[in-house]
Amino acid sequence: MPQRRVLIVDDALFMRNTLRDIFAGAGFSVAGEADDGVQAVNLFRDLKPDLVTMDIVMPYKSGIDATREIVQLDPNAVVIMCSALGQESLVMEAIEAGATDFIVKPFRGEDVLAVVKKVLGE
Amino acid sequence: MAEAPHKYLHAFIAEATEQLEQLASELVRIEQEAPGGSLWDSIFRRVHSVKGSAATIGLSAIVDIAHAAETLIGKLKARNAKPERTHVDLLLQATDGLVQEVQHASGTAQAPREGEKAPAAIAARLSTASAALPDSFPLAAVPKAAQKVVADPSLPRLDVSFALSKACQAPGARSLIVQRKLKALGTLLEIDPQPTALMQKKGGARVTALLATARPIDEVRAAFDGIPEVEEVEVRLSPPPTASRPPQPEAQPGGAVRTVTDAPMPDDGRTDATVRVRAQALDQLLDQAAEVLLGIARLREAARKLPENASGVFEAEIDRLRRNARDLHGRVMNARMTPFSSLTERLPRAVRDLAHRLGKEVELEVQGGEVELDRTVIEALADPLTHLVRNAVDHGLETSAQRISMGKSLRGLLVLSARRERDKVLVEVSDDGAGFDGERLRQRAIEMGTLAPGKVGEITEQQSYELAFLPGLSTREEATDLSGRGVGLDAVKAAVEGLGGKIALRSAPGKGSRFTLELPLSVSMANLLLVQVGGELYGLPMSRIVATTEYDLSARGGEGFEARSLAVMGQLVRAYSLAKLFGLPSLAPPGPRPFAVLEVDGITFALSVDRLVGQEEAVLKPLFPPIDRIKGLAGTTVLGNGRPLLVLDPRGLHELAEASQRMRGAA
Repeated sequence: MPQRRVLIVDDALFMRNTLRDIFAGAGFSVAGEADDGVQAVNLFRDLKPDLVTMDIVMPYKSGIDATREIVQLDPNAVVIMCSALGQESLVMEAIEAGATDFIVKPFRGEDVLAVVKKVLGE
Repeated sequence: MAEAPHKYLHAFIAEATEQLEQLASELVRIEQEAPGGSLWDSIFRRVHSVKGSAATIGLSAIVDIAHAAETLIGKLKARNAKPERTHVDLLLQATDGLVQEVQHASGTAQAPREGEKAPAAIAARLSTASAALPDSFPLAAVPKAAQKVVADPSLPRLDVSFALSKACQAPGARSLIVQRKLKALGTLLEIDPQPTALMQKKGGARVTALLATARPIDEVRAAFDGIPEVEEVEVRLSPPPTASRPPQPEAQPGGAVRTVTDAPMPDDGRTDATVRVRAQALDQLLDQAAEVLLGIARLREAARKLPENASGVFEAEIDRLRRNARDLHGRVMNARMTPFSSLTERLPRAVRDLAHRLGKEVELEVQGGEVELDRTVIEALADPLTHLVRNAVDHGLETSAQRISMGKSLRGLLVLSARRERDKVLVEVSDDGAGFDGERLRQRAIEMGTLAPGKVGEITEQQSYELAFLPGLSTREEATDLSGRGVGLDAVKAAVEGLGGKIALRSAPGKGSRFTLELPLSVSMANLLLVQVGGELYGLPMSRIVATTEYDLSARGGEGFEARSLAVMGQLVRAYSLAKLFGLPSLAPPGPRPFAVLEVDGITFALSVDRLVGQEEAVLKPLFPPIDRIKGLAGTTVLGNGRPLLVLDPRGLHELAEASQRMRGAA
């Protein structure tokens, strides 16, 4: 199986680093990182990753709006929302906007990978 | 009066009480409702329902009032105009009359119902008001619930059911994903509960759905493979609909009887059925579940004394039993969860009455009514919350005239909200009124001798507001009878803290004030670290323990030690002697001494004890007078060996330690 390519979107460097470690450790290739919604949509267009992890609350453009635009670009895009506990209504909004699934912070590496593998059908 | 009570009298009383509570709160809102709106339908339906049940049981006084009220409601609804206040008042009186009759039927009210409160008099006043209104067209049949989705009748129907895993942290979002998946497979006719109803709930809920689709069962089942946190998926062909399913009763918990969902269900495929259980029965269950846990703890204790070769088997079995019992205890706790709305249902009426008496206009907004709390918490919160609300209407919010002169909206806004944050529930009472008067509070505190005049400059404006929580400190010269005599903010604070919660007040002059109550979700099992000090055992909540360590203090000044710093995991933390804090003798031999390292509000500190004894799980019981006045205590419990134990409150201990530090510093 070719290496899966992931785009990590989060305005916090800490979260991006954490996710990068999780994915790299599980044999994914981190195709790119974005720290706001505008950059996320641009990078998605350029990189065409297999998977996007998307923070919700970000500057310039929220993860929800970015998800909506990404799904318009590619209806089969796999976008996994990374939300904090207590943002359930935002997650639901993101799902309505086309997000594939979600993970709730704080998470452990295995939680993230379990969701990712499940939605990628592995 | 019937000679023998009707078999279902109990159920009728519970149901009617709920209906009438809802009715009262809807009537309060009807003045703001658009003419002919859906609220009228609901009001009509409630009165109609109470009338029907009362007629079945033969409670004619209830039937008389309800019938007259129904006629008036029908006419008011048909008029297509806003109701007049007198009409709403009359209907509220009718509701009171119905409540009084229901209480009479239940035997909880014996007061004579004479004069203007007699059922016949109430019914007569309603009839007079109806007669004064023009005749209306007969009211349309009671409207049906939400519109049903329709699907090609020739398509097979599939019954789909699944459970959300216990670990699921966003069940609403998770079930929305399932809903979307099912919609992609056919026509989703029903899904129960709706995803939004699962928001902010815990995982573990079962969801059922009815899907009309031409796709094979296996394909529908396989669609769940790509969805995390979903278990026990069942897809089967639904029997052809012979008759429409009976509508599910709406769950409207409140008062003495609640609706228990989530219970294990019979194998008829419907998992959302509910059954009414007396609140008292749940309390007894909880007590018994706790007793079972205690029994198991005692058994465990006893098993330790068995010979080596036998104890292993026993302990393994006891552990298994304990896991089951803990699970049982947890489930009973869950069944006791009650929505915040059960507390707020009565408030619109109280606010309306109080506001009218004071010549004020107040809009009450309730948010997060669905957030659930343990019944113990809900019950203990009733009075404090009512007090805060009344206080806001009475003292906080201004009259319309005052508001207009200040450029505010005519109507004062009072917001009551509840929201879940991790294992806490935050309840807020906020108003856009005058706010607290910091200067007045400081003056009063000085007069009462609780604040040294010299210290006035040292406290901030926000800290001044917190003075309002001091006993006996009310800025009003005399308490008005409206916001209650004798119950001050100090009592509210005590009640909240008694639940293991916290209260905070923010205020801005002319803009309003906000009380934030941080409450535990439930009063639950506590995992305790047992420590010995001065020959006595105490419990420290494990949830606050970061580490335990040993340190030889004799090398550094020893016995005189009061507070110093310790290096724990590379961090320097304050260390205090638990014995000193409570004025107990320390019986520890010289040499290395054990420390428990705790964390509270992000502050790490260490407590020296004589001995670390072990760990134990216990059901925490609240403190009782007079020991509830002692700072640093959180509750009591009974150990496996039957000995009572005081459980310490790390936050209180830390405050105590800091205070004694300051006193030493000042001396």
